[in-house]
Amino acid sequence: MGCEITTKERAGVINPMYDCQPAGAQYAGIGVKDCIPLVHGGQGCTMFVRLLFAQHFKENFDIASTSLHEDSAVFGGHQRIQDGVMTLARRYPELRVIPLITTCSTEVIGDDIEGNISACNKMLKQEFPDRKIHVIPVHTPSFKSSQVGGYSECMQSIFKTITTAKVAPTGKLNLFPGWVNPGDVKLLKHYMAEMGVDATVFMDTEEFDSPMMPDKSISTSGSTTVEDIQASSGALASVALARYEGATTATYLHQEFEVPAAIVNTPYGIGNTDAMLQKISELTGKPIPDSLIKERGVALDALQDLAHMFFANKKVALFGHPDLVIGLAQFCLEVELEPVLLLLGDDNSKYKKDPRVLDLKAKCTWDMEVVCNADLWELEKRVKDPNYQIDLIMGHSKGRYVGIYNNVPMVRVGFPSFDRAGLYRKPTMGYAGAMELGETIANTIFTHMEYNKDREWLLNTW
Amino acid sequence: MPMVLLECDKDIPERERHIYLKVEGEDTREFLPISNAATIPGTLSERGCSFCGAKLVIGGVLKDTIQMIHGPIGCAYDTWHTKRYPTDNGHFNMKYVWSTDMKESHIVFGGEKRLEKSCHEAFDEMPDIKRMIIYTTCPTALIGDDIKAVAKKVMADRPDVDIFTVECPGFAGVSQSKGHHVLNIGWINEKVGQLDAEITSPYTMNFIGDFNIGGDTQLLQKYWDKLGIQVIAHFTGNGTYDDLRRMHKAQLNVVNCARSSGYIANELRKQYGIPRLDIDSWGFSYMAEGIRKICAFFGIEEKGEALIAEEEAKWKPQLDWYKERLTGTKMAIWTGGPRLWHWTKSVEDDLGVQVVAMSSKFGHQEDFEKVIARGQAGTYYIDDGNELEFFEIIDLVKPDVIFTGPRVGELVKKLHIPYVNGHGYHNGPYMGFEGFVNLARDMYNAVHNPLLKLAATDIRGPVATPVKEAAE
Amino acid sequence: MTSQDKIDALYDYVQERCLWQFFSRSWDRQENIDGILKTATDMLTGAPPAKESPMDRLFYADAKIMVADFKQRFPWLGDAGAAQVRELMAGLKERLVDITITNSKNGELHHTLY
Repeated sequence: MGCEITTKERAGVINPMYDCQPAGAQYAGIGVKDCIPLVHGGQGCTMFVRLLFAQHFKENFDIASTSLHEDSAVFGGHQRIQDGVMTLARRYPELRVIPLITTCSTEVIGDDIEGNISACNKMLKQEFPDRKIHVIPVHTPSFKSSQVGGYSECMQSIFKTITTAKVAPTGKLNLFPGWVNPGDVKLLKHYMAEMGVDATVFMDTEEFDSPMMPDKSISTSGSTTVEDIQASSGALASVALARYEGATTATYLHQEFEVPAAIVNTPYGIGNTDAMLQKISELTGKPIPDSLIKERGVALDALQDLAHMFFANKKVALFGHPDLVIGLAQFCLEVELEPVLLLLGDDNSKYKKDPRVLDLKAKCTWDMEVVCNADLWELEKRVKDPNYQIDLIMGHSKGRYVGIYNNVPMVRVGFPSFDRAGLYRKPTMGYAGAMELGETIANTIFTHMEYNKDREWLLNTW
Repeated sequence: MPMVLLECDKDIPERERHIYLKVEGEDTREFLPISNAATIPGTLSERGCSFCGAKLVIGGVLKDTIQMIHGPIGCAYDTWHTKRYPTDNGHFNMKYVWSTDMKESHIVFGGEKRLEKSCHEAFDEMPDIKRMIIYTTCPTALIGDDIKAVAKKVMADRPDVDIFTVECPGFAGVSQSKGHHVLNIGWINEKVGQLDAEITSPYTMNFIGDFNIGGDTQLLQKYWDKLGIQVIAHFTGNGTYDDLRRMHKAQLNVVNCARSSGYIANELRKQYGIPRLDIDSWGFSYMAEGIRKICAFFGIEEKGEALIAEEEAKWKPQLDWYKERLTGTKMAIWTGGPRLWHWTKSVEDDLGVQVVAMSSKFGHQEDFEKVIARGQAGTYYIDDGNELEFFEIIDLVKPDVIFTGPRVGELVKKLHIPYVNGHGYHNGPYMGFEGFVNLARDMYNAVHNPLLKLAATDIRGPVATPVKEAAE
Repeated sequence: MTSQDKIDALYDYVQERCLWQFFSRSWDRQENIDGILKTATDMLTGAPPAKESPMDRLFYADAKIMVADFKQRFPWLGDAGAAQVRELMAGLKERLVDITITNSKNGELHHTLY
């Protein structure tokens, strides 16, 4: 068979893989400091997503709703937009950015977002002459794309609204990692520090892993400032790590302000991380330091202990965000795991032609299926099929029942991961991320062996 | 002034009509918070939407029914893996969610064909399941898709299935409450009375307004089994679609959650003459009271007393152990609405706990009448509380523990205040005699968590104990 | 204790412990208050409570528990003569109707549909 790229045949969905666009938009928005996204729609569009983020991070994020009610559905939501913006501005004196995120309801009723924002800007200027609040139009109806697209759309909208001038060269690097955890943001900052590269991560979500402090202060917030975003037009280059999550912002900065843009393979696994570091070295002129070579070596050393002993010939099913799934598949190949099923969860037609997917197709010597527009019922059906062998599942927590009720070990990776503790703190990218993943895969397999009494004595001396 | 305008609300002064500080001697003839009113945009209110109230709270609880959500993908995604209501048939209700995954072309040209196809696919993929509820969402309501017509067509094509439809777009009403209402009224008008029931006991009842959170329904069922009472239908904990079509067969409707499910109890009274008995199934003393009332109705008082004696012998010693240690603890309750009035007096009577502030997401004025009647003076009663109000209230009342949702719990954690999950519980079930001990245990463990003291300790600055002392 | 104090005590109990006076509509509340207090009065004055219809038995269920609690908490009620009981219960009814129906600020009480 080789590698087949197919699309889910059913029209309806059973067990969706992604949330809708507004969810992704909200994730981008909370990465900005002094920012409260205002979702223009029914209250659920905000409340469910705040819950989703809380499940993943075990933290509260401030997101507001225009609380669309029936009267607005009939007469339009302009009053609710204006009330929402002004109420936020008045009650949150530090507020500087309000992404105004549309939903299916408000796109269907056709509210004039840009017009309303103009009106709001006038009112804000009048009432707060010494404050500048950036109200960002973000068009993210839920009946298009998915949370993946919504994230990308909001990222781009924020920059389009705030980065309006070419600033003097800053010598900095813009880094667009995509929809990642604080653990990855921390890793990328560490790499930049080791390389001596002055980089700005968009968005900087490191503080999402926030502490309990003696003074009771609350710092659960994005760290990317308006100034950071404005300065991006003067960067020496942009590097986007995720083709489908934020790369369009790098393209925008290139088109508008001639900031050179590079899109690299999402740095999951050793080879992809090598390529990213080499690209950054090339763009900045900074050499790759010995410290990172050592980190690379430590990761390789750890993975070498696992690959042909425990990973070889194990068939893996992957689901989650497209850059994550494709990147993880590439990592699997490095450690002799056999990705047999890649599930991508929305109807983006670009996945089929993604060069990484075509490369996997060319390289794989076993039967592999890439299913586009997939849902998790596609996973469950195959897991239950006695003729379809899956030894390991890697994906987010909403697929947990497939693993649990079919006795297949599952590694939680991606978003959301709410049924395991602390995953948002760990890197998944880079050398440390590859090592972390490898060891998590191993420990998951080991636990499975023990509870299933499957050659558990193998681990006596390894 | 008993109606309170908090500092953080000075720019939205209409909030004053929603926050009440009870004073001794006052009652709800003079002061009653406005409730179930339009939400002020941009306040970071805790409210959800009408679709949530219909699907996530009530319909999605059923253990044998496909939940077909007619809309774009998010409404289905968001109401999956967000509840803890087990079933005795393998948790079918928690494992799956269905969506018609509406795309732009369907919004423009209509989604009825898509819905019809999705329904057939769903039944084909799970041939053992024969029941379905279809929900509209914001866009499918706006474009006017006729889900009833589609349901009718699918049922004609598949005579062995039955489908119920609910029109609950997220923008309807002002909160989850509208969804409760629409589902309740729709169900009684369309489905109740369709099936006969096999009567196995001289005493029959429906238990209404309990959704088997953490196993609540299953815990209470042990009582009904012991008493020999047949529960015709559970609305809707661990319940089946067809049992709910038999509700008219019961002699009595026992109601716990009057907010979400009072509507169907009222209609069953109106249309079938079945009396409605409201009880509190949370609360140690309340549970005994409830059992006594039910048994008095059926004339089986002795059985009731025997059950109560047995349960009290088993659980009262533990309850009292917690009461001794929890007396004086200050509790806040920030949940949907009814738990405010279910818990405020029961924790006071049974555990010596003082409730100092309560906020309701979607309660009506009826809920505030109840909670103010039962609650203390000096306590804050808040309708549709928002985040900045929560901070200010915490400063005013300084609670030791807050019963609320996980997200808000994670917020107040930073203030060194522990939370107990007031929606899905920490370690439930919380109903019944045993359940209230579980609630007490979680509260006790929350309040006595040593990490709280450690978090409040600032280890910087001069060292308290000189090194010399340690050496001696 | 004056009659008013006694009515206050009975009223405080009902407000604190009972839910039947808070049903959804004014007529539901009136029906419950009338029915339960009639049955309770019968029980307190030695008359047999009605138990024929389902509603009778509902009133009986709520009233029985209330009367038991009354007798335990308020010995003066158990000691009172029939006339005094009727007077106190009438006073209780008047208070309940006033707070839960006549002067209630609950706007939903008068909606015709559920």
